[in-house]
Amino acid sequence: MSVVISAQDVGIEFYISRRRKMQVRDLLFHGAPTTTSDTFWALRDISFDIRAGEAVGLVGGNGSGKSTLLKVIAGVLLPDRGSVAVTGGVAPLIELTGGFRGELTCRDNLHIQAALHGLSKDQIGERFESMVDFAGPQVREALDRPYRHLSSGMQVRLGFAVISSLDEPIFLVDEVLAVGDKAFREKCYKRMENLLSEGRTLFLVSHSERDLKRFGTRGLYLRRGELAMDGPMDEVLAQYNDDLGTTKADPPTKG
Amino acid sequence: MAAVTRRRSILWTLVQRDLRVRYSRSLLGYVWTVLDPLLMASVYFVVFTFIFKAGGRVADRPYFLYLLSGLLAWQWFTGSVNDTTKSLIQEARLVRSTSLPREIWVIRCVVAKGVEFVLSLPVLVGFVLYYLVVGRVELDWELVFFPLAMALQFVLLVGLGLLLAPLTVLATDMQRVVRIVLRFMFYLSPVLYGTHAVPDFLRVVLAFNPLNGILSLYRGGLFARGVSWLDVGVSAGVTLVLFVLGFWTFARLERTVLKEI
Repeated sequence: MSVVISAQDVGIEFYISRRRKMQVRDLLFHGAPTTTSDTFWALRDISFDIRAGEAVGLVGGNGSGKSTLLKVIAGVLLPDRGSVAVTGGVAPLIELTGGFRGELTCRDNLHIQAALHGLSKDQIGERFESMVDFAGPQVREALDRPYRHLSSGMQVRLGFAVISSLDEPIFLVDEVLAVGDKAFREKCYKRMENLLSEGRTLFLVSHSERDLKRFGTRGLYLRRGELAMDGPMDEVLAQYNDDLGTTKADPPTKG
Repeated sequence: MAAVTRRRSILWTLVQRDLRVRYSRSLLGYVWTVLDPLLMASVYFVVFTFIFKAGGRVADRPYFLYLLSGLLAWQWFTGSVNDTTKSLIQEARLVRSTSLPREIWVIRCVVAKGVEFVLSLPVLVGFVLYYLVVGRVELDWELVFFPLAMALQFVLLVGLGLLLAPLTVLATDMQRVVRIVLRFMFYLSPVLYGTHAVPDFLRVVLAFNPLNGILSLYRGGLFARGVSWLDVGVSAGVTLVLFVLGFWTFARLERTVLKEI
């Protein structure tokens, strides 16, 4: 199988200072921004190749750079060092409700969100029913009411329904399974299994060992921004648990 | 730019969404778009014609039409600069959730305000027809430059937007600065008066305002005074510089901006 995600020495640097925003006023009166310029590397020297159809789980404590890495692959953060090459489109199940506007109806929002992620009008028409079905009967009832009237769980359902209906060959999943009730979670699992059986590539971030084992065959273990291990999921999880036992939890490096 | 034109349909979706949000809040949405410049034109007309008694001398007649044509274009300018300035901050969640070429978030504000400008043009047409009937206006062939003025203004606004949007993410008080500069610019632009009425010692200072040439192109066909090609040349030059500078700045700051929003 061909390589679909290739990361080469990826590094990304963040500012630590609490007041990271400078002001025009500071620049004018002090000649320089008053913020400190201490930085830390959220990711450092990350290299790996992922082939089409692989199911990869990211393992690591809080602040180890998992979400950051996912964002770099999704193309919503740009690395400061190295490069990421992604072949084919990416469906990011990351900020599921990012594109929704509260004032518009759920129907309008669904259309717009699907269009933003590259579906044509005809494609949206074809998939509309199945997307709404997936989101559930409560969402169907509320289709023509403003989106902000939905509960937060329902909002995520609608988001998941849209993004998981995309044709993209690569899916990035970040903790979205933690929200939603049990019944919906089961639905999501089924959808993800279907996607995998269709030969799509799955990249999953989760703290749930059960989820990781269920969907991931290969594990990437991030420790303080560095790739500590890349191997079969069982071994990676064993190493992770081992580390937790000996060093206790990693001190959080990022808020 | 090529990447942006390839996503035309997405750009259009965003613009429709903007307009729908704006007009879903109140049915009077369209009325407000037109009423604002109309009321402002009336107020300036009254103040400068009856109190300062200067309207006809510092501008072309009919003064009301002169004001309206200037104010409609100014509304597009100021609305667009304001919106593009905060375009990356306001839609941070959206910017963070899609990997579309980021320039799109800026350009869509310019297009949305441009559509509103076009929608408000029937009012201008209405007044032109009225003045034609009463015989106070004669249209001439320079009317063909109206679309050119729009194109030039579009390019200028995209350049300014791409320059200001990332700076606003990095410097929180940028929006305030922009608002003040816009208020200055309103009085230093030939909206209320024509550049011919500016005394020589000021003319050099004001000559670099890119709106001079753009407004001249809009008004060329409506008024007896012809298009000032010197102004247009300067405008085109300044616009081009801002456009290149905008794309360059945006590309340079993109990495940092994405971390901050």
